[in-house]
Order: sequence, then C-alpha cells, then structure tokens
Amino acid sequence: MKKANKLITVLIFIFLYIPMAVLIIGSFNTGKSLSHFEGFTLQQYAELFSDKDLLALLGNSLLISILATTIATAFGTFAAVGIHNLKPKMRKAVMSLTNIPMTNPDIVTGISLSLLFVFVGTGMLGNKQSLNFWTLLIAHITFSLPYVILNVMPKLQQMNPALQDAAMDLGCTPLHSFFKVTIHEIMPGIVSGAIMAFTMSLDDFVISYFVTGSDFVTLPVKIYSFTRKPIHPKVYAMFTLLFTLIFVLMVTMNLLQLRSDKRRHTRRTKAESRTMRIFKRVGAIACVMILLLGTVFLFVTTRNNKITLNIMNWGQNIADGSDDTLDIIAAFEAKYPHIQVNYSEYASNEELYSKLSNGGLVVDLIIPSDYMIARMINEDMLLPLNFSNIPDYKNVAETYKNQAYDPENKYSVPYTWGTVGIIYNSKYVSEEDVTGWELLWNEKYAKKILMFDNSRDAFGVAAYKLGIDVNTTDKEELQRCADELKKQQPLVQQYVMDQVYDKMIEGNAWIAPYYAGDAMMMMEENPDLRFYLPENQNFNLFIDAMCIPTCSEQPEAAELFINFMCDPEISGANMDYICYGSPITGATEYMDEYLAESEIIYPPEEVLSRGRSYSFLPGDITRFVEKLFMKVRLG
Amino acid sequence: MMKKNKSILLSIPYAIWMLVFTLIPLGVVAYYALTDPSTGEFTLQNIRDLGMFLPTLGISAAYAFVSALICLLLGYPMAYYIAHRTPVMQKILYMLVMLPMCMSFLLRTLAWVGLLESNGILNSLLGALHLKPITMIGTPGAVILGMVYNYLPYMILPLYAIIVKIDPRLIEAAEDLGCSGTQVFSKVILPLSMPGILSGITMVFVPAVSTFYISQKLGGTDTMLIGDIIERLFKSAGNPNLGAALSLVLMLVVFICTGVMNRFGGEEEGGVVV
Repeated sequence: MKKANKLITVLIFIFLYIPMAVLIIGSFNTGKSLSHFEGFTLQQYAELFSDKDLLALLGNSLLISILATTIATAFGTFAAVGIHNLKPKMRKAVMSLTNIPMTNPDIVTGISLSLLFVFVGTGMLGNKQSLNFWTLLIAHITFSLPYVILNVMPKLQQMNPALQDAAMDLGCTPLHSFFKVTIHEIMPGIVSGAIMAFTMSLDDFVISYFVTGSDFVTLPVKIYSFTRKPIHPKVYAMFTLLFTLIFVLMVTMNLLQLRSDKRRHTRRTKAESRTMRIFKRVGAIACVMILLLGTVFLFVTTRNNKITLNIMNWGQNIADGSDDTLDIIAAFEAKYPHIQVNYSEYASNEELYSKLSNGGLVVDLIIPSDYMIARMINEDMLLPLNFSNIPDYKNVAETYKNQAYDPENKYSVPYTWGTVGIIYNSKYVSEEDVTGWELLWNEKYAKKILMFDNSRDAFGVAAYKLGIDVNTTDKEELQRCADELKKQQPLVQQYVMDQVYDKMIEGNAWIAPYYAGDAMMMMEENPDLRFYLPENQNFNLFIDAMCIPTCSEQPEAAELFINFMCDPEISGANMDYICYGSPITGATEYMDEYLAESEIIYPPEEVLSRGRSYSFLPGDITRFVEKLFMKVRLG
Repeated sequence: MMKKNKSILLSIPYAIWMLVFTLIPLGVVAYYALTDPSTGEFTLQNIRDLGMFLPTLGISAAYAFVSALICLLLGYPMAYYIAHRTPVMQKILYMLVMLPMCMSFLLRTLAWVGLLESNGILNSLLGALHLKPITMIGTPGAVILGMVYNYLPYMILPLYAIIVKIDPRLIEAAEDLGCSGTQVFSKVILPLSMPGILSGITMVFVPAVSTFYISQKLGGTDTMLIGDIIERLFKSAGNPNLGAALSLVLMLVVFICTGVMNRFGGEEEGGVVV
C-alpha cells in the first residue's frame, strides 16, 4: 500500500513537471517548435532582454498583483475583525457574499464585472475608456479579498478572547490592543491569505481577459493572444526565468522558516523575536518595493506626454522588423516622435466587431474587411475621415476606390487586397484531388482538414462550393450552406484563425482554406506547402481598409498613420512581410521581385475575374448566419 | 464591550464593496440576458435560445465531473503519502505541488499541445520505437488530461490539509479494536477526510466546467464546452446578451452542483459524529 502510494506520488510529480520541462527545453531551442529540438542556443534570452514590451508586461502584472494584494490584505484583515464580531446571522450573510466569487466560475465573474464597468462607466458616466487600469485593479481586489478573509477568520476564531481583554485591562486602547496583540496572533492567517491572493492575482487570466481594456494589459492576457498564433520562443525563455525565480524564492522561504522553527525549539523567546524581525524586515522591504513601483508607475505615466495611438490590426498583418523587413511601427514613431503606438490584434472581423460593440475601450485605427466596413458604417461605428490630413490618398490606385462598401470614399483607405484559396501540404495530398473547394470535404483527409472559425468566411466557402451567391439573404440558401458545413464538420480537425500557421507549418494538418498572403508566409516556413485558387469556382476577393472608429480619441494621429501607409515605399516594405497585394500605385517597385511577380499575390486577370467580394448583410441576416454557424460548431 | 460594537463597523465597507462588485454585477448580467442585442429592448428570446446549448451544458458537466473523479483517485494516495512524511519532507513536497500553480497555465497547456500533436513529441518517441502513431490531440481524452493536469493541485492541497490533521491515535484505536487495514481506511480515515474530498472536488469541478482555453487548445471539433460558447458569444459572435443568459445558467448549474455536494457532505459528517 505504502509502496503504491509512493509510486503514484513519483509518477504524478513527473506528470506535473514534464510540460514545464518541455517549455524549458524549448527556450534553448534554435527552432521555433516545441516538438522538435534542432540545436542549443541562448539567443532567445538575448531577444527576451531586448524586448522592452515583454518586460513591461511582466512589470504590469507585478504592479497590479502587488497593489491588489496589499490593498486586499489590509482591507480584508480589518473586515475579518469586523465580521468576526458580528452577530451570527449577519456574519452568515456577509460570509455568503464572500463565497460568491469563490464558487462562481471565473468566466462569470469576469463577464459580470466587465458588463458592470461598461454599463456604469460608459453607459451612465460617459467615459469611453471604462475598461482601464483602475477597473482591472478593482477586479483583482474583488477576487483576492475572499482569500484573505477565509484565511484570517479561522485564526480569529482560534484566538483566545481573554488576550485582548487582558491587554485592555493593562491600559491598551482597543486600537492599541489590536496592533499589539490581535495582529500577532492572526499573522500566519494574514500571510497565507496574502500569498494566496498574490498567486491568484499574478496568474489570473480568465477574469483579466474579460476586464482588460486597451490601455493596460497584463502578461497572462498577452500570452493568451500569443498562443493563438505562432509563438516566439523568447516567451519560453521568460517562462524559464520566472520558474527559476519562483523556485529559488520558495526554497529560501522554506529554509528560513525551517531555521526559525529549529531556533524556536532551542531558544524560544529569542527565536520568536527573530521571526518577528524577519516578518518586519520582509514587510518593510515589501512596503519599500510598493512605494518604489508606485512612483515608477506614476513617473512613467506622467512623464510621457506623448499621444497614444491605439491601433488594432489582424494577426501577422504588419511588417514588424523580423526577417530583415522594415519595422513599420518603429519607422512611424521615428517620423512622428510625439506619437506612441499601442498595437493590439484581432483574429477575425467578427472579433473586432465584438470588441468595439462591447465597448469600454479606446481604439483609434482599425483595418477591417470590406463587408465589415459596410456594417460598421451602417451602425454608425466609424468616423468620416478628414482627407486634408491624408494628402497621399492620391497614391491609392483607382481600382480600389469607389467600392460598394464605401461608395463615396468617406470612411476608409485601402490597406491590402487579396484572395481566399486553399493551402495544402503536397507531401500528403495527392495532386489529382486538388481541384476546387471539394478538397475540404474529401473524406480521404478526414481530421487533417482545418476550417475557418468565423461565420462569414466559412459560409462563403460553402456558398462558392454550392454555386450560391455569397451575398445571399435568402434564408433557405443560407440553410443549405449550413447543411453543407454540417456535413464537413466530422472531417474537420479544428476550426482555426491564426492557429492555422502552427498546424500547417508543422504538418499536423494538411488542408486549410486561408488568405493568400498568410499562405505565402506559411509556404516560406514549409516548402511542402502549396496554394491554389479553385479552377472553375468562385472565390473571395477582399480589400482590407484603414478606418477610424467612433470610440477614437486621436483621429488626427490616426490620419497621420493612414497617410504614412499610403507612401509607396512604406506600403511596399509592408507587403514584403505580409505578402499581400498593395493598393498603392508604385508599391511593387519597392517589393521583393519574387513577391511582385508572384501569381499568388497578383493572380492573372482571367483568374481574378472569378473573384467575388462580400458585401453588406443586414443585421438580422448576420445574426441568423451567426446562429447557424454556432449550430454547425456544436455538431 | 465598546470595542466589539465599534469593530463591527469595520465590516461595513467590506460588505458594501462585495455588494457593489459581486451582487450588482450579477444583476447587470441578468439585465443583459433579458435585452435584445440590437435594439436594447426587453425580450425573452435569449432565454428561449438557450435550449440549443443544453446538450453542451451536460457534456461540460460530465467532463468536469470525470476530471474531478480522476483527480480524486490520483490525488488521494498522493496527499496521503505526503501527509505521512517527516515535517521537512512535507514542506518540500507541498512546495513542489504548489509550484506549478504559480506558473502560467496557458503556457503549460501549450506544452501539452507540443506533446500530444500528431507530429508531436510523444508520437516522435513512438516512431523511434517503431510503433504506430496515436491520435491524441482533439480527442475527449486530451481535454480530460488537460483538466486533470491543470487542476490536480487544487485537489491535492485541501486533501493534504485534512489528512495531515487526522489524529494518529484514532487509527491506533481502530487497530486495537480489531479493524483490518481496509476497515481502518473505510471506517476512520475516509470519513474523516470527507471535508477535504468535497472541497477538492468543488475546486476542480468549478474551473473545469467553465474552462475554454483547455478545450480550445487540446480539444477537437466535437469537444466544444460551455465556456467556449460563452467566450465565443462575447468575443466574436457579437451577442453578449445571449452570452449573459448562458453564463447565468452556468452559474446556476455550478451553485446547484456544489450545493448538492455540500449537503451530501454535511450528512456524511453528521454520521461520523453520531
């Protein structure tokens, strides 16, 4: 029996630590994949320390959890004393209030807080940015408080009430007796409560994910967006460093405690004063750290009187300086030193729409696709552009002006254009199967097929396959598309957006419909990958264009950026990385030759004539499609 | 006496804070659940639409329950083993259980993706042994594995805290009175560790039933869980109102499940006392 327990314990420890070992090994890998070790390097650590954004995110996380823990610990300890002295009935009522965030799933807590903040902040007080640093802090304090209360209360109950009475008999005021007697008795509870609150707050993802706005992001929330696309191995390097740090911290804390335990056995009084001294020292250091961090934070926020430009773009949709490309954002910030870009990403038009319509954030520039622009114009979500600030609009080729989604060219300036086709792995997919959209329904490749995880593109593929007009508003035709997608569902490995990269590059999936430019980027990583546009069927032809949403606070800075992107040299350099077609005249001259001549990026005229664009669908149809798609996903 | 009356006042700001930031937000959720996403008018449509999610709700509860059970079966022997080491050893082992909880669960789950992928680490190992690759990712098993992996420490820690407090004299007494090893376990140790078992199950069940990251990363097309749907409704399907209605249902399910469990547990405890 004992041996079996020991064996299980050892096995479970291996089970718990294997994934961490995988991440740690991954941080020394020359390759990007976790599955294949290609060679040893320390490069990722060098990249980590040169990445100020990543370190700043870590700082953000520490700041919010230290502040939340300190406030929750002080607030919770006093509250616990009050609750302890309440009449039983009242105490029960307050404790059940305490239990709500403990038993409620995090996702519900997160949603309820975010709805409250937007409802009160934006709806009632008219603050555009109602999801911000302060609301995030409130959320963290709220879910940390119960940990403090639940750890302190038992200690208060264990405490001998005569102690306090004795202190008061000896002339202490109640306040005095609290600080001289009570607090020492309940200290272990306070400390363990604070440690639990800190751990929960530092690694909280779910609640923060729903409550985070655009101005202040913590590390776990950012890591989530990292894990939805190809992740940079420097993140593993950070994981490794944090792991080492926490490990060392835990070991030293345990050693200190053990040492003081031993002393207590031999010289009780002295040892106790020593632990108290340690406690005090730790407390003092913590206080100093908080003050320091707080001032640094204030310093950073007040000193920096730059304008913040919040840009939201698709994943992998701007040249970022990697692979010898131009870092567009850095180039823009260098040209306009008074502006600081705050860049974030979305995976689909629908995700962008949800973010904006849920409210609570300030966004200054977005790059949605044609049909979404039409919908946003229709719902008054976009500001008309001031073209006197965008003189280089003249560089936009006439073909991309006067489009159906923005007939008067009032709200948008084209950013890219491209097609949707099929990317497949030629190592596994035989050429005779490569014909049209049917490939995505081919049972030979069951569970190796990926599919779009957004309703419009998924329904588009089904409509092209069935020969139905993609812009149909006929519910019967839409139902037929849904039935077609339902037929496909058992063959699909996963519904994906940016995750398509990892899956296709590593060969874990073989076939996927995706945007041509992203396909080109994947083909650069894996030479077995091919891309084609169906021969005898229609396919999607899209334009992504820059717009300014109504929640913007810096439309002029956004217009500067739009103008910047209309420069042929900049646009060409951007296309070198994102591999799409540029709507700017003359941009091809600045592009790599093989890209400018690629038939994937610039298909011949007779192929392009089969392209169809999505246009605006009324709100009730959009919602109908969304519901049908949800049913497809549910199986 | 003075002290007592005054110190009660300390609980008032806390009670107000919790009211404002836990109870009122739930009211706002209910408000959203009963309004139309585009017009903002009162409607019961969202409630009616919930029907299509009922099977998923059942599946999610089943996944979470199975995970909690596996966690219990694995965690109990481990907690028992840890509780019977020397104090120093206990501290070390306790720390080793705690440590994974402090590290990003997103990245740790991602590591499982690298392990389980069809071209992943485990299948490469199988290939090196000339064995056939196994499809692991995208199966219900992978999702349950992810849940067990992530939430096992939540089971071990409360179990350990209870088992370590069991008075060894009770076990000796039972042995003296002629109990066999299994009888000691079933009649003394197990009933006494019931509170730990219940809080462990709750602590695994609640996050598991509402997760969306684990099923997104390790699951396939047929392992969509209720958390996935709620996340989707809020973050990409543009229907937070339906999402609000669904999260109220999820909350209700969790409260009923934990309530039933605690009641069941309460009776067990009573039995022991008698």
